[in-house]
Amino acid sequence: MAGLLDSSKPRLAPGCRWGGAEAARVVLFPEGAIRVQGTGQRILELCDGDRTFSELIAQLQQEYSEADAIVIRADACRFLEQLREKRIVDF
Amino acid sequence: MLSNPLALIAEITHRCPLHCVYCSNPIELASAKAELPKDDWLRVFFEAAKLGVLHVHLTGGEPLARTDLHDLIAGAHHAGLYTNLITSGIGISRERLKELVDAGLDHIQLSFQDSGAAQANWIAGTKSHARKIELAGWIKEHRIAFTANLVVHRQNLDHLEEMISFLEGLRPDRIEIAHTQYYGWALKNRAALMPARAQVDNAVKIVASAAERLKGKIRIDTVVADYYARYPKPCMGGWGRQLILIDPAGRALPCHAAGVIPELTFDNVRERSLEWIWRESGAFQKFRGESWMPEPCRSCERRSEDFGGCRCQALLLTGDASATDPACSLAPSHLVIELALLEVPIDTASVAPKGEWIYRVSPK
Repeated sequence: MAGLLDSSKPRLAPGCRWGGAEAARVVLFPEGAIRVQGTGQRILELCDGDRTFSELIAQLQQEYSEADAIVIRADACRFLEQLREKRIVDF
Repeated sequence: MLSNPLALIAEITHRCPLHCVYCSNPIELASAKAELPKDDWLRVFFEAAKLGVLHVHLTGGEPLARTDLHDLIAGAHHAGLYTNLITSGIGISRERLKELVDAGLDHIQLSFQDSGAAQANWIAGTKSHARKIELAGWIKEHRIAFTANLVVHRQNLDHLEEMISFLEGLRPDRIEIAHTQYYGWALKNRAALMPARAQVDNAVKIVASAAERLKGKIRIDTVVADYYARYPKPCMGGWGRQLILIDPAGRALPCHAAGVIPELTFDNVRERSLEWIWRESGAFQKFRGESWMPEPCRSCERRSEDFGGCRCQALLLTGDASATDPACSLAPSHLVIELALLEVPIDTASVAPKGEWIYRVSPK
């Protein structure tokens, strides 16, 4: 399976969607849910299927300007690839 | 402190066009006339969401037998619940599927009985296999989650690899391979369904290698053969701990088989709110927590993992719903499991003649 590319357009996988109360947002999927907060929540909110991964990273770097850009990129990439393995994200 | 229920199992009808020999519905089925009307279900969905429930599993019988299924899905979706339809696939057209998806259906779980039509229809007691395959194709026209479910037992385990590759070809997101559980109807057909130990051991290896091969593509989940396990299954994730089941007549049960336990009385959502039932209903409190547990469960370090196992199985096999699940190797009554397994022929090639099945019959 191909890894995440700059041109990939990540989005929630089929049958995965946001749910839960505003204060405790979760991503719902068959037979389960994951609680996401902070950066993880922000990354997933940016996964709209239109935005490319490089655009997503640019947006994150703007929002978290104090963090190291290379670290942001590596973390986001690992996060999305793990969620793809769980079939919560596809790209 | 009492936690919130996470899922609502809405058993909206017991009517079903299939006659599966391992049907998991209770022995006593509710008739169409006794079914809870739509408006009550819609209220229950809102109460469930308020109580913290995230998922609703619409099941049956065959939920498609209800002509108001579209409204039930729309209502559950509107309440904020994640909607899962558990179906045999009989009673749906391509158009009806689209309507259900438009109403807010998130996930469809389609059952298969085997990979080949003759064998599958033999288990289901009806010609249904070809229509399921057709539906699987329609499902892939939508962005919803798709689980293909397969119940396994003595009669089909010898070609498990073939069945997994058949299911893979339908391109589901998830495959669920469930060993038959022996309460309800399956207990009547246990002699013909109980696998041999070699079949169970072999299945574990096949499933593990398929899960590795399909990693990231198709997720594989399993329901274990608890007669062959050392410890019991954590039935329902613990009694009255995560799940509420509403049966077609509106009765609230901690699990779908709980009706077999004679000392329990079930409150009805026609008379009580879901929140009241979750907190106060005697049936939910009966085996909640650890105070009901006998030894060896009470002092067992696994008690918070398996919760003493299945209450219904304890009742059916020992006559006492408070006993340790006899599937547990530490249970005083474990011998009943050993005795049942002694009767299982080692020769797995033997197939039950048709006369030995007792097919399930749908209620009016």
